[in-house]
Amino acid sequence: MNNRNIVIGIAGSGGDGVVSAGEILVNAASSDGLFVFMLKSFGAQIRGGESSVRVRISDLPVQSQGDRIDVMVVLSWSNFLRFKSELLLQEDAVIVSDTDDPMSDDSIPLNELQRTNWYKIPFSKLATEQTGSNLAKNIVMLGAISELFTLPKEALNKSVKKKFKTKTDDIIESNIKAMQAGIDYVREHIEKKDPLRFEYEIRSPRLVMQGNEAVAMGAIYAGLEFYAGYPITPSTEIMEWISRYLPQRDGITMQMEDELASINAIIGASFAGRKAMTATSGPGISLMTEGIGLASMAEIPVVIINVQRGGPSTGLPTKTEQADLMQAIWGSTGDSARVVIAPCDVEDCFDCTVMAFYISEKYQMPVIVLSDQFIAHRTESVNPDAIRGSKEGFRKVYTRDVPDEEQLKDYRRYQFTESGVSPMSFPGIAGGEYHASGLEHDERGYPRGDAASHQKMTEKRWKKFEQIKEEFRFERFYGPLDAQLGVIAWGSTKGAVKEAVNKANAMGIAVGALIPQLIYPFLLDPFNEFMKSKKRVIIPEMSFSGQFKRYLRGFIRFGDYGVKDVAYAKAGGSPFTVEEILNKIIEEWKDMEASR
Amino acid sequence: MNEAKKAAEYRSELKPIWCPGCGDFGFLNALYKALEELQLDTANTVVCSGIGCSSRISGYVKAYTFNGIHGRVLPFASGVKMSRPETTVIAVGGDGDGFSIGAGHIGHAARKNINITYIVLDNNIYGLTKGQASPTTPLGVRTKTTYYGNMGTTFNPVRMLIAYKASFVARTFSGDPKHIQKILVDAVRHPGFAFIEVLSPCVTFRGQDQYKILRDRVRYLDENYNPENEVEAFDIANDENTLALGVIYKKIRPTYDEIIQQNVISKAKAASNGIAKIDKLLEQFQP
Repeated sequence: MNNRNIVIGIAGSGGDGVVSAGEILVNAASSDGLFVFMLKSFGAQIRGGESSVRVRISDLPVQSQGDRIDVMVVLSWSNFLRFKSELLLQEDAVIVSDTDDPMSDDSIPLNELQRTNWYKIPFSKLATEQTGSNLAKNIVMLGAISELFTLPKEALNKSVKKKFKTKTDDIIESNIKAMQAGIDYVREHIEKKDPLRFEYEIRSPRLVMQGNEAVAMGAIYAGLEFYAGYPITPSTEIMEWISRYLPQRDGITMQMEDELASINAIIGASFAGRKAMTATSGPGISLMTEGIGLASMAEIPVVIINVQRGGPSTGLPTKTEQADLMQAIWGSTGDSARVVIAPCDVEDCFDCTVMAFYISEKYQMPVIVLSDQFIAHRTESVNPDAIRGSKEGFRKVYTRDVPDEEQLKDYRRYQFTESGVSPMSFPGIAGGEYHASGLEHDERGYPRGDAASHQKMTEKRWKKFEQIKEEFRFERFYGPLDAQLGVIAWGSTKGAVKEAVNKANAMGIAVGALIPQLIYPFLLDPFNEFMKSKKRVIIPEMSFSGQFKRYLRGFIRFGDYGVKDVAYAKAGGSPFTVEEILNKIIEEWKDMEASR
Repeated sequence: MNEAKKAAEYRSELKPIWCPGCGDFGFLNALYKALEELQLDTANTVVCSGIGCSSRISGYVKAYTFNGIHGRVLPFASGVKMSRPETTVIAVGGDGDGFSIGAGHIGHAARKNINITYIVLDNNIYGLTKGQASPTTPLGVRTKTTYYGNMGTTFNPVRMLIAYKASFVARTFSGDPKHIQKILVDAVRHPGFAFIEVLSPCVTFRGQDQYKILRDRVRYLDENYNPENEVEAFDIANDENTLALGVIYKKIRPTYDEIIQQNVISKAKAASNGIAKIDKLLEQFQP
């Protein structure tokens, strides 16, 4: 049997080099142009402790992490057992483990089939023989599995060399020997019992990126000039990356004392005419709420990345959830105009960030990008052309409107205009001096406390949405648009939904999906198009209280379309699997058929 | 060359909302005069503030001015200054804004030595909300929220700022606008984070006798006083009976924007051989 798609799990203790092995595998596959998706998982320890990776490699585009593992590589059984609930194996999964693992075979929970497909290879012993230490056992392992499952061997060789490129030639050489030892051992001592062989065509290399890196890159592409932030999992990598590379483009990064400071610092930078951004997660966004309202009131462009994690409160810092939706859209005192965009995969993190800057600079308001831990920390192979801009995607960069000479003669910062947008001056522009405030104000920015002024200024701020809605259609449809059964989801749930919808259609179940990327303002047109043929719509989301469904219900009455809306709401922690979504589709489809 | 600007030209069209007799008037007039003396270009000057009676000041000055949210004037000012270092940034607030809700920011703006002037108009009370206790309300004083007497020991702002390593710490009094003007000019010219505590009486909620009480308590620092001696500066700050007026502590050290330009941007650009191109940055993601 030749597979064009393989899911490999690797588990071990902190010192086993699990993550390094995963990264080498990902780099090798990406350099051969394959589609890759990697998730990492760690124990609670800050250093050391157990770790696991799940690497999906495919000759075809992949949308999700892959529900079940085809090849489980175990560097230490005791550590594997800690991840047992996260690493679901195929019924006929192939197992590869160290011959000298101290755990007895009987105490290892495998079925008959898996026991038959179990190869034991002395990783540690071979590593010690070749390199004098057992550190390279992960490299021996990579050699062994490349031989067992026909993985891209030459590319692996290159990736190993690249991994150790800062080390001495001796170290590189001994790692290459370690890899060869793994290959040789399989050739000489292992009789292949399982049918699994990976087959693929070599294409041009793809880039390897995590969601947080794509956000950071997107911000740089959009012309970010000032970043202020406070470290918080799972957003921190954005700041780490930017603090290193933004100065290479003459930009400023400031680590602030808290998130209150971060949001106000970027408001200050933007007031001073710079493109400014911060990134945070749930607890941080709570602290920024007042500042977001200020940016809204004073019409100051800022981009806020919220990498969602499990909540409320400290919640699940290293796990994903989609339950900051309502906070992003409505989280403020008063009626605070802002835009909310949600990326749905790594490449989209780049697009959405570029778009966030465009909207915030053009419409002078805060834009919140709702990413989540599942996208932020996954590694995907990305089409380099997509990032470089030769592929379709959002690549427009906007430079803020400043007042012209005529306007500067009698400058009114908050002048009433048809679009609601008024030219924004900044320090350095003579004649453009003005007062801005969190207080309600008149056209010149001076405080006004009367109801009529408040009504008129609020209308001005909200009027901008009309133009935003005209300018953007930002959603994705999957499957047949005219199907009677539909799925509406947002953000990182897209992957599992798209794959499940494709599978269902291949099984003969007609089902379509709608994934809006521009979450707020709400665009009715795509929903109207989608709903036309629908009888039933499933709404899967990682929000226990079903925030997305409640949000949709605020704008559309499913009953008016003759549509039954079916909630599929669960608390976060682990993302949806394709199987979960597919089962739900099948269940609802059967129910529809039965009642026909 | 343009004609010299007059103090009145720094005045905005907005009229102050303060009560008659408010200490903030004295400060505001001194501020206009200091701006005149410094001949600051209004297009390159930012006056920003938090929330409170004194924070209304930003609206009364003709420049780029910003009246933000309660307690957050320093992060805002830091964002302006760091992103546009050529701008003169003056941040203003009251004792509640600075030492209560915004207290977490002072130490960081000070230790980073952000090159701005931060003025706290200290009236020992919350005035805008009409008379509740602030961090500098004296122990035992009855206010609307401390009916049986204020329970917390009073903050000592000058001592706090010296401890935070603020590079310029001064105290002045709104009963002496000339002194304020002099301190303001020194503070704006100081390369680094300059803090000024202005004793600015609230006659409405702290009583009409505040000017007299303060006049009896203040003394001017000797002309020969050397503010660079930290130990002496602490001694002066510790004297809470006699309030010394003048520059109490001063130490020149590199500002945050100097450090960023010299130690961050120059290193980064050396690493990337000039401004890094997008394609160059993307190379790191190649497998």
